[in-house]
This record gives sequence, structure tokens and C-alpha cells, in this order.
Amino acid sequence: MNIPDSLRYSKDHEWVRVEGGVARIGITDHAQDALGDIVFVDLPKVGAVVSGGQSFGEIESTKSVSEIYAPVAGTVSAVNAALESSPDLLNKDPYGEGWICEVTGFDAAALDVLLDGAGYRALIGG
Amino acid sequence: MADTRLGPLDALHRALGAKMVPFGGWEMPLAYAGGTVAEHLACRRDAVVFDVSHLGTVRVEGPGAKERLQGALTNDLDKIAPGRAQYTHLLDDDGSVLDDIIVWWVADERFDVMPNASNTDNVVAAIGGTDVTATRAVFAVQGPRAKELLTAYSPALAAVGRFRVTEVELDGVTCTAAGTGYTGESGIEVAVPVEHAARVWEAIVAAGITPAGLGARDTLRLEAGLPLHGHELGAGITPLQASLGWVVAWSKPTFRGKDALVAERDSGVQRELRGILCDSRRPPRDGCDVLIDGRRVGTVSSGNFSPILECGIALAFLEPGLEVGSAVSIDVRGTMIDGRVVQPPFVTTSRA
Repeated sequence: MNIPDSLRYSKDHEWVRVEGGVARIGITDHAQDALGDIVFVDLPKVGAVVSGGQSFGEIESTKSVSEIYAPVAGTVSAVNAALESSPDLLNKDPYGEGWICEVTGFDAAALDVLLDGAGYRALIGG
Repeated sequence: MADTRLGPLDALHRALGAKMVPFGGWEMPLAYAGGTVAEHLACRRDAVVFDVSHLGTVRVEGPGAKERLQGALTNDLDKIAPGRAQYTHLLDDDGSVLDDIIVWWVADERFDVMPNASNTDNVVAAIGGTDVTATRAVFAVQGPRAKELLTAYSPALAAVGRFRVTEVELDGVTCTAAGTGYTGESGIEVAVPVEHAARVWEAIVAAGITPAGLGARDTLRLEAGLPLHGHELGAGITPLQASLGWVVAWSKPTFRGKDALVAERDSGVQRELRGILCDSRRPPRDGCDVLIDGRRVGTVSSGNFSPILECGIALAFLEPGLEVGSAVSIDVRGTMIDGRVVQPPFVTTSRA
């Protein structure tokens, strides 16, 4: 299972990559593998204000639906519109082309409660 | 609940990268490494093989076997003959579908009756016979190229015609094959003595046929408009409500549940199974309400994403008489998805 050490992770299986005040968010390789083939992503709206741990989208696979939880509080500043027609990017490249959205205005201290790669690896027993 | 049974090919499936899931008391492949959508497309365009050993096989044989089946099941064996297969229902006294079944009429006085995994005991109780499920594996080879690719392994297996049943020799072992399936595509199902199952599976895969799991089996049957027990059939659901009146041989003097079914036919069904084609990719799901102008007109029984149509599709029990093309909305957890009533199957297949 691919768990890059450069990212932070939530217990709900999202990852966060922070660059220049922007937190890019996606789901982990473990999450996409558990969901199976993803066929639809209900993206959050740009401008939406989300609180940490709040559901702000849905991922539908051929077998089930799963909520996306905001790993940090903030304002949604961008979404990955490519997922509307190619939700399978979440399966193919969960840490790259399959990113879900970006959040700004978050509290840097909120990142400290997220897991590092080793912590997430321990969480999923891998 | 009893422990989950491992299928005879458990280790082979895991070696192929299968994700295993419990289904009907068995641990079976959900999908292999390529995933459900790729397996689905392979079945529509090429050929796949499913391990469906979790289906039951009840052997009913000897003098009087045919009469027992005729008295229990809705369809009429007098429409077919030895060497043929027939889709049929076992009803409860109230007309509910206890199980939907394929009967393989193997020889004059030998029938292999194939119920759904979890219903085998019900079927034995209703019609007698011997549960021989543990003695064999069953593989379903399906797709427009299924027979072409099978020819390299066994011309006799590849030659089995639609809804024909015959014994074939595979690697010197007698197996029973039928031109049946659950995908809408042409194909073959073959029952193999369990001790030879691994060898036959490997030969089928070696012939270039893609292994596929229960995930693709479900999306394929949904696109083909085929019912799944527990969704489109089951307690409180009659064959007439499931739009499967053709399975009922009214001319037979009796079968279990006939009186209740005749009463429903005469008074008219209160709901009927229809297809809904959605405008969005979002999959409708079992239990979602269906509305017209805000008025509830029914409930989704199965829904998913159609890999061929690249949109959501659903089977739903709707109030009777809605015209094909009627605009409907499906309430997917608070989000309204627009769609229209269609006549399944949703896609054209090699069997259609």
C-alpha cells in the first residue's frame, strides 16, 4: 500500500498536502482500494466553509457510497473538476491526478493532530 | 449464522489478486486485480469467467422427479425436453417468490435444480432431492467471444447451444454444461466435479478468458435487467409484480402459490418492476424513492452505475401503467436525480 511520508493523514483515510497556505486533500491508496471502482464523486462547492471532521462530499463506487470528511477546517478554494467525468482518477492516482479539493484559511496547528505516514501505516495495520 | 464456507478455488482466486467477500454463506471473489468496471467491460466486449460455486445444486432424480418439479415450480417442463434448461420460480403459498431457479433437465429422470446460494435448504424442503452443492464447482463463461475462446480448450463445451444442457468430457472428466448465464451475453455454465475444478478453471483462464467477480456479475445482470433475489424477488414480491409473468404457466393444473397468483392477476398488480435510466453518473441505490412531480410513485430495488452507458441505472417497483419515457426523479439521500422510465434491458447484448 502506497503511503507517502511527505503527506499528513486523517483517521478517516484522507490525505493532506500543504503548500503555500493551501491544503490539497484527497483519499488514500488504502481508501480507494477498499472502495473499489469509483464511478461518481460529489465534490464540495468552491467557497464552502467546512469544519474539521465534517462530511463535505461523497464518493460512490460500484459497491457502496462513502463520505468525504474534511481533515482540516477552512474554506474550499478549488475542486478537481476532472473527477466529474473521470472519477476513476481516484483509483488510478489517489495522491496525484485524483486529488479532490483544496482548502485555505486553515489553522496550521490543526495539521499537528493529523497522522504522519508511520502513524497512518499503523492505523491501517500495514 | 454458520461459518462462511471457502469455495473450492479459494487459494487460486487469492493468487489472482481477488478481494474476497462473504456472499450467501460463502467467501467469494468480489473483484480481481483489474477491478469491477474492467471486468464488466470485458464481459460485454470479450469474455469472462465467474466462479459461481456458491449457487446451489439440488439433484432430483428417479421416477416421479418431473412430476414433483411440475407440482412445485411455476414454469412448465412440458415446454422443454431432456437436454434443455428452464428458468422458473418456487413460490410461497401467498405467491411470493421463495426462489428463482434454473432447472437443468440433464436426462429423462435427472434434473439439476440450481437455486440461489442461501435458498438451497428451502428448495430441498419444497421439492426433495439431494443437495450436491459440495460435490461440484460451477463456472460461468460469458461474453460475445466466450464460445470462440472456449473452442481452443474444448470444442464440445463451446458448442453447447443456448438453453441446451449436455454432459461433456473435460480432460477425461464428465462435466455438465448448459447454455445459460446471468449477464445478458451468450455463454456457457459448466458444473465440474470439485476435485477437478482447479484444473478446469486454470484451463479456461489460460484460453484467454478474464476472471470476473461478484461485483461485475451484479452490474452486468442489472444492465441486462435481470432480477436478483432479495431485491427484485423475495418475500412479498410475486412474479407478476416483478414483471416476470412469462415464468408462470397458468395452464398447469396446480403449482404452489397458484391460487394467490390467480387472484392477483385477476385484480391487477399494485406495482410493477420497471427500468429507470438516469441523466447523471450518480448511482441510485436500493430503497431510494422514485417521484413524479414530487409525488412518490415507487422505490428502487437495485441501482448502480452502468459502465456501458456511463450513467446511473435502476430497477424499481413503480405504480402500474407508467409510459416508457415518463420523467421521474430519484431521491438519492436528499439529492434529486432526473431519469426516465425505460424497458429493460438497458443495453443490447450478444444474447439479445
